[in-house]
Amino acid sequence: MDVASAPSDAEVVARVLGGDREAFGLVIRRYEPGLQRYAARMLGSRDAAADAVAEGLVRAYRHLASCRDPARLRTWLYRIVANRCKSHLARRATADVSLDEAPPVADPRDTEAAVERAEQLVLVERALRTLSPEKQEAFVLKHVEGMSYEEMAAATGERIPTLKMRVHRAREALLQALEEYR
Amino acid sequence: MSTIDPRIHQVLDGEIQREALPPELRRQVELLEAAAALLAAAPKAESVEQRVMAALRRPAAPRRSRLVWWLVTPRAIVLRMRPVWTLALAAGLALLTLLPARVSRPDVGEEEGIAQFVARFPGARSVAVVGSFNDWRAGSIALEDRDHDGVWRGVVVLPTGAHEYMFVVDGERWVADPLAGRYVADDFGRENSLLIVRPVLQ
Repeated sequence: MDVASAPSDAEVVARVLGGDREAFGLVIRRYEPGLQRYAARMLGSRDAAADAVAEGLVRAYRHLASCRDPARLRTWLYRIVANRCKSHLARRATADVSLDEAPPVADPRDTEAAVERAEQLVLVERALRTLSPEKQEAFVLKHVEGMSYEEMAAATGERIPTLKMRVHRAREALLQALEEYR
Repeated sequence: MSTIDPRIHQVLDGEIQREALPPELRRQVELLEAAAALLAAAPKAESVEQRVMAALRRPAAPRRSRLVWWLVTPRAIVLRMRPVWTLALAAGLALLTLLPARVSRPDVGEEEGIAQFVARFPGARSVAVVGSFNDWRAGSIALEDRDHDGVWRGVVVLPTGAHEYMFVVDGERWVADPLAGRYVADDFGRENSLLIVRPVLQ
């Protein structure tokens, strides 16, 4: 879709609340990739992440009228999915296959560069997994999802100084781990 | 105690330009940025769009099923009794108990009860109740202030059991019921009021 003609989040929310259920598909297409990435980091499993994101999106639809600031729909969705992830972690009885344990399988048709990139990704993911869940979350929201500290505070319910400290600690630990793996 | 040069954080937080860094620190910044870029470009997961939209298109479960689901699903509930409201709550519960005998009662099923909402919002133009019983959609349950004294009232029939709710004042301000006495933390960083609807004695 042409970005210039894409409706704003507030417009999409208004359409959905006005009865256009299918317009919620725009919300999904707009934010699902980031939500999936974020949930996968939180849960360490792509399957569990898909479940958490699907549950979160259904919940978001049902509670859309309570989204007080549709212009901040994105952080509101992250907050819902974060809570779904926490519920999954709390009730997880058996460990899912983690992202670490299931590295992407190289396809023989992949180019050398793609294979190298996949190896680097495994390295980075392994380094990330050495961080506490809070630091992983902070790093991912800040540097992978590109949120400001204000948006992170809205998405997590944490205070900005707390988040800033977590991001700093995450950078330090990640840098140290990456340097060791090199 | 920071184990890396604080200027790395300053660059990554957009507080100073990366050109201000010596080459070694710039390399560390680039290493972190490259790690983030790799994570952002990780293979895309299969979309859940079809699954979500299918769930949204399914007709809602009957009220009874939803109620049973609500009752059997484990969840954290924070109950806080505020002493100052205890008397008001007791009075409110007494009123709920007495209500069926004093007013002409609407049709109430075996698994339904009557809920009376009373709230004081002087100067409000409208007050509605939204909650788990109406999918949090404003407008479906409007309270009335017939004598214009700022006290808004409404009586509705709801399924028996626990319901979360809030007041929506003037169509935009969401307010927990100060008289509820019981509150439940929701997923969105708020506390919803909690209402227990009991069956009407036949």
